[in-house]
Amino acid sequence: MHMLTNLMAQQTIWQLPEGSRVLLATLIVLGAFVLILGLVPVLQTLPPRGRRAIIVTVTFLAGLFFAAEFFLPVDWTAIFPKDDPKRNFLTPAIQPAQNVLQIIGALALGLGTFGLVRLHLRNAVQRRAQWGYSIVLLVSFVVMATLSILNTLAEKEIVERGPVLKRAFSILFDYTLVQLDAAMFSLIAFYIFSAAYRAFRIRSIEASILMFTAMLVMIGVVPLGAFISYTLLGLPEGASPEGANFLTQLEHSIGLPKIADWVLTQLNAPAQRAIEFGVGIGGLAMAIRLWLSLERGVT
Amino acid sequence: MQARTQTLWQRILGIDRRWLYLILFVNIVTFLVAPIRMPASVSPPVQKFHDEIEKLQPGDLVMISSNWSASTLAENQPQLEAVITHLMRKQARFTIISIEAQSRDISYRLAERVTKEKGYQYGEQWAHFGFVPNLTVAIKGMVTDLPGTIKQDVRGTEVSKLPVVQGVKSLSDYKMIIDVTPSGTVPIWISYSPKNVSILYCPTSVMAAEAYTYLDSGQIKGMITGAKGAQEYEQLLTVVGLGTRFMNAISFSHVLIIVFILLGNFAMFMNRLQQRREG
Repeated sequence: MHMLTNLMAQQTIWQLPEGSRVLLATLIVLGAFVLILGLVPVLQTLPPRGRRAIIVTVTFLAGLFFAAEFFLPVDWTAIFPKDDPKRNFLTPAIQPAQNVLQIIGALALGLGTFGLVRLHLRNAVQRRAQWGYSIVLLVSFVVMATLSILNTLAEKEIVERGPVLKRAFSILFDYTLVQLDAAMFSLIAFYIFSAAYRAFRIRSIEASILMFTAMLVMIGVVPLGAFISYTLLGLPEGASPEGANFLTQLEHSIGLPKIADWVLTQLNAPAQRAIEFGVGIGGLAMAIRLWLSLERGVT
Repeated sequence: MQARTQTLWQRILGIDRRWLYLILFVNIVTFLVAPIRMPASVSPPVQKFHDEIEKLQPGDLVMISSNWSASTLAENQPQLEAVITHLMRKQARFTIISIEAQSRDISYRLAERVTKEKGYQYGEQWAHFGFVPNLTVAIKGMVTDLPGTIKQDVRGTEVSKLPVVQGVKSLSDYKMIIDVTPSGTVPIWISYSPKNVSILYCPTSVMAAEAYTYLDSGQIKGMITGAKGAQEYEQLLTVVGLGTRFMNAISFSHVLIIVFILLGNFAMFMNRLQQRREG
């Protein structure tokens, strides 16, 4: 027990000792690599039921780790009096676990890139329909990736940022990618305009209420709403003075920006809160289903 | 043949969408270049945002979470520029982090430009922590051990050696978090960040409606909504930035949409009336 307490106080269970850190880390990475390479054929030879059992167990244990770390009594000192009272025995493992999750997230990016390149390479090699676009994608991908990597290395002062690299990256990133991306998204404004014109029809009382509310908010939130209310109509801006009569209070409340703010804070917010409660409870149920592998698709 | 028998109202109802696109395009271009400046009425969330930053003392540390790519540049860029301008005025130190791969470069280059204009020193007064692939994991990591989670900044310097975050152990050492984003990232910051750190929010207009609940509860201390919020903020800072330049076009586009919705409804009623009369 004494040894265990000491180990926990030093956090050496989850973190590598200072001395031979590089060697140990390399050995662990290589060991994990060999283990995974060995596991793949084993998993493939297993029948689906066996594979499912492994996935279900790993998922459950991973979920249990985070739940246990969160829910276990914080005051661990009742058992280990010399330990830090703000943590339990799993707390030091959280940081390495976060690092593992970051690595998995980064691997997912790599996997996505690999899938994309493989698909378009196959399109180009087999000259499938519209293979020309695949060539454009692959060339753009290679050029952009090369320049981005070089630019990042230059930022870290590993390679020199010459005028050619600076100019080439700027042309591709600032003047091509960013502009194309922004232009693509801005097209939505045109679709919204066309869709609003065709779809926003007063066919029922509910549709009428929705339409007039939307119009009030649309005008109320932009400077034109303030201009119409306070400059053209001469309504008073700001809050009404204390003890003002009903008419004065009304004058201070009917400016378009005030109405828009009222709709957003008094009508929209409660509705959003209700939706978020529903989504939260649904999310919790879904998380439990995923943790216990009750969702379909766990093979 | 059928087109000739169409009434005026039917023609209005069936107007080719390309005409609508052209009208909107002309409207946007006209009001982008027109030298009209309409002052905005500063909305309460923007005022709260401004007041919260005004409370900062020189040297206070702020984390900016910049998660936008070029697609929402028109809304998020004016916000980020205005926020950095204000932070520099208050002599606050700030660090930027991105969970969007493209945003890592966009926000770094933008901050580099804006800070260079005002002589703010990289590493001393601000730094960029680069891209992290998973926000939840990153926040949880930063709450326990910030230098251990981030490790290096974009220039490859170890975070523990950056003067701007000297002595910083975790996110609790920050005064404020500002989330500039088109995505639903603010609930993650609210859920996992330390309770002593106030959160400010810069969403795109379409995301703002969801955040009013957090404003009500005080979990968000202020909000700049899209380019419109940026214009209001620029007005408070007495600068003319992108928000101010964009707002005329946005204002009159809203008017145009409303006019056309009314026109469409009017044409629908007139068309129905005419059909009834003709039996």
